[in-house]
Amino acid sequence: MIAEIGLFALILALFVAAVQAVVPLLGAARGETSWMNLARPASAAQFALVSLAFAALIWLHVTSDLSVLNVALNSHTDKPLLYKITGVWGNHEGSMLLWVFILALYGLMAALFGKTLPPALRARALSVQGMIAFGFLLFILMTSNPFARLDPAPVNGNGLNPLLQDPGLAFHPPFLYLGYVGFSMAFSFAVAALIEGRVDAAWARWVRPWTLAAWCALTLGIAMGSWWSYYTLGWGGWWAWDPVENASFMPWLAGTALVHSAIVVEKRDTLKAWTIFLAIVAFSLSLLGTFLVRSGVLTSVHAFANDPARGVFILALLSVVTGGSLILFAMRAPALRAGGIFSPVSREGGLMFNNVFLSAAAGTVLLGTLYPLFADVLHLNKLSVAAPYYNLMMPLLLTPMLLLMPVGPLLSWKRGDLKDALRRLRFAAVVTAVTVAATLFAAGTASHNLMAALGLGLAAWLLAGTISEWAGRVGLLRHSRDEILHRARQLPRSAYGMSLAHIGLAVVLIGISGSLAWQSETLLVMRPGQTAQIAGYDVHLVGVDDNLRGPNYTTSRALFLASRNGDFVAAMRPERRVYDNPPEPKSTVAIHTNFFSDLYVVLGEADGKGGHVVHLLHNPLVPWLFLGALVMVLGGLVSLTDRRYRVGTPRRAARIPDEAPAASQKVKIPAGVQYAAPALAFLVLIGFFVWRLQEVSKGDTPDVVPSVLIGKPAPQFDLPPLYSGKPDFKTADLRGKVTVVNFFASWCVPCRAEHPLFRDLAKSGIVLVGINYKDKPENATAFLAEQGDPYHTVAADRQGRTAIDFGVYGVPETFLIDKSGVIRFKWPGPLTPEIVHDQLLPLAEKLK
Amino acid sequence: MKRIPLSSRASVLSPEPAEGPKDARPGTHSEAEAAVEVGPGSRRAFARLAGMTQWFSKQRCALMLAAVLLVLTPALAVQPDEMLRDPKLEARARSIGKELRCLVCQNQSIDDSDAPLAHDLRVLVRRRLLKGDSDDAVKQYIVARYGTYVLLKPPFDPETYLLWFGPLLLVLTGGATVYLFYRRRAAPETAPLSDEELRRLKSLMDDAP
Repeated sequence: MIAEIGLFALILALFVAAVQAVVPLLGAARGETSWMNLARPASAAQFALVSLAFAALIWLHVTSDLSVLNVALNSHTDKPLLYKITGVWGNHEGSMLLWVFILALYGLMAALFGKTLPPALRARALSVQGMIAFGFLLFILMTSNPFARLDPAPVNGNGLNPLLQDPGLAFHPPFLYLGYVGFSMAFSFAVAALIEGRVDAAWARWVRPWTLAAWCALTLGIAMGSWWSYYTLGWGGWWAWDPVENASFMPWLAGTALVHSAIVVEKRDTLKAWTIFLAIVAFSLSLLGTFLVRSGVLTSVHAFANDPARGVFILALLSVVTGGSLILFAMRAPALRAGGIFSPVSREGGLMFNNVFLSAAAGTVLLGTLYPLFADVLHLNKLSVAAPYYNLMMPLLLTPMLLLMPVGPLLSWKRGDLKDALRRLRFAAVVTAVTVAATLFAAGTASHNLMAALGLGLAAWLLAGTISEWAGRVGLLRHSRDEILHRARQLPRSAYGMSLAHIGLAVVLIGISGSLAWQSETLLVMRPGQTAQIAGYDVHLVGVDDNLRGPNYTTSRALFLASRNGDFVAAMRPERRVYDNPPEPKSTVAIHTNFFSDLYVVLGEADGKGGHVVHLLHNPLVPWLFLGALVMVLGGLVSLTDRRYRVGTPRRAARIPDEAPAASQKVKIPAGVQYAAPALAFLVLIGFFVWRLQEVSKGDTPDVVPSVLIGKPAPQFDLPPLYSGKPDFKTADLRGKVTVVNFFASWCVPCRAEHPLFRDLAKSGIVLVGINYKDKPENATAFLAEQGDPYHTVAADRQGRTAIDFGVYGVPETFLIDKSGVIRFKWPGPLTPEIVHDQLLPLAEKLK
Repeated sequence: MKRIPLSSRASVLSPEPAEGPKDARPGTHSEAEAAVEVGPGSRRAFARLAGMTQWFSKQRCALMLAAVLLVLTPALAVQPDEMLRDPKLEARARSIGKELRCLVCQNQSIDDSDAPLAHDLRVLVRRRLLKGDSDDAVKQYIVARYGTYVLLKPPFDPETYLLWFGPLLLVLTGGATVYLFYRRRAAPETAPLSDEELRRLKSLMDDAP
């Protein structure tokens, strides 16, 4: 019943969204106030209905209603209550519902706080929100219904992945989505402004706090995700440049650029088209991330059940939302008249410089993320773009921006004095030089130390420069103490917000530099009573308690005593858990932090001889990374409390136009192609996505690795026979006949599925060779006795070495080798009758 | 033609602990090879759920598990018994391992992955190093079998020029946009003051106390 109520609420919400999308928009076009005003109650109704659905799903999870498919697949009765609740968004369907819930929440807030907005602008913006909600609700109802029933209900559910059974799941996704979806506000207002053909300071003053709030949430969400991966995965790292991480980093970069360019619109009434463009891009990148993660066009360690059918829907949604807004942009942006002019050396100029590099960085992450997909579509060599690429490009792109960051705030609007600004940064320059010299002196000049010196130098420059700027504004060293305090109080909160955010970034930079350059690790087998050394610490293993019970897991917990120069530092208790449902391991890291560095202990598997594998890491300055992110968020929040931006009190002075249908008549024919370029580029991108999706749905998923050995001679090998007494099987045995080589194993489930096909193949006169991969001989012979032995020869590759020489990455794999011993065809995965009869046999006939 | 999605096939990742060093063929032991042991704890589970039968080869690095986030297997990949005694050689092996992709676990290096294939490749890397191969030769050895896909740092060739020069291109595009922005706006926005206005301005300035 509850599930049906939830589903019904979602369907109603869909209709409300349709009304919210259409009526206010028409009202704004026709100047009908009552039509426009419908947007507000519609937003409220939308929120109420989606909340009801969301609450219903939470209820179903909390009560473990296993007749609901979503609960059965992702929950289990033995799960602690916290994870029953957070597990709601630990899966695709639930997370989409969370997404829509947050969207409705933003809509409600805009309706509540937007009383003083120009009614037409508000009506149009809420209408665009309605369109987005409609799209996502339709997506949920058509492809991802969280309320689908299961009949008969199973005895119990599959459980939640242990890595997600962590308090991090309670906070990380909601904040991330508050960020992603928050950008929809800026987007909706951008589209509304394009329809109206007007962007002014009042618009910017309204959009900026929403963008800033979204930015804060996204920053926090990303930082929490990073921290979560740091303390749960036991790898000692905090960022892996996985597509999913990139999907959150791209909107963050675009959103950061937007927060800055909106300042220029507000203060100087210029850079309007660019700001509108960024608002479109920031939200589009959020949507793009959703598409990439859930469609299966890219591979990612962050696993959603990938589904091309869902991919098609999200792609359509992305095309409509982004394509539509970019076309609108191409048509209307040329008509946005710019206001004040400014010299390149000015505050505006500095912010523009910041925008160029932030956008280039976002573009680079996009390029790196999508390049493997382009390569797949264009049938280039399959390639991987990973950490080494980004670790090279990001410093190159962001260093110029960081260098200029302290300078920008010292320049005045319109026309700045660069010399004066640099003069005021003398102190910062000295601090920077001292930092670099001290780092190199203390650490040495190896290449990783040079990088660290550069990073710390940049951080010092930013930190000291930001403090100098503040000191200059309050007149530190120039005025009496009372005067300074008075001036400090008079400074607007937004100024403090900026300083804090920049200081936070400097602290993050310190954390990044330290952890990249000076992380140290030891990996060893330890027995109770033994002591290991790392970075000046003595880590003593007291013992390991096995078979301890947690609420829904069994755990081995070790006790380590860490000391330094004989002084006790900390007792550390890393665990190695095996969960009941699903029965998967998870290691719980023990971290001791002294604020400057983390001592990080991971308990590995038992070696069966009384020892345990232990991974010790020393991570210098990593705490600063997370602390710095918090300071950045704090800066954003402080800025939000600035009187001018306070949400809900946009200035009364905001012009309220009495005529609603504006601009549309005034729009000129576009002046330049530059405004149409994004729409065209996006069209090409969509083309790539469509092509790739269609290939993926045919089974050419991104994890299929094409063999590089086609057309090359088979590798050298000499394998023993599976059945003793038979001769070895060697490369030379392939000569003179067409051979099919099949790698199989008794433990491999799909091998059983394809096995009957070999009987047909054996009849066709092709020599059939089975290579038994990493198997026990008795298991393999039993398997062949049970399933039948179609092979002419069965060799055993016990070590899997020959398989590696063949480029095998999973069993079963099947090769066709011609008379001269050249590999002509490879099939990774189980054979099907179609492949055998349409591809393998015809080719074999030709080669005979 | 229909291909079976790869996720429905058990990968190299899924064997029960099959082959221990004790089973290894005599005479092929080397320092590195002694460690060829499939990681324990792996199991082939299949979930049967109310009529639906799903094959969960969980070792496909959770590709089939629905989850929002970070579903890496706990990364404690390199095992002590794989490590070489020579710390310099081991350090080289680690840095090579960080640059090679584990083929079955998405976007993890063989150094980070506890998949058995990653283990085999780590052992292979160490064996090549013991034979005196250079770092590049070791990487080429793997590339010759699995293609450039295994390189986490893509090669620099005509197919990847766009990737490597793209960032520069983006900055240049940004710079050109800014330049055009200024050029279009360089046109004087307001007419200069007329003689009459100049005279008035001067008199106002002079009048000021």
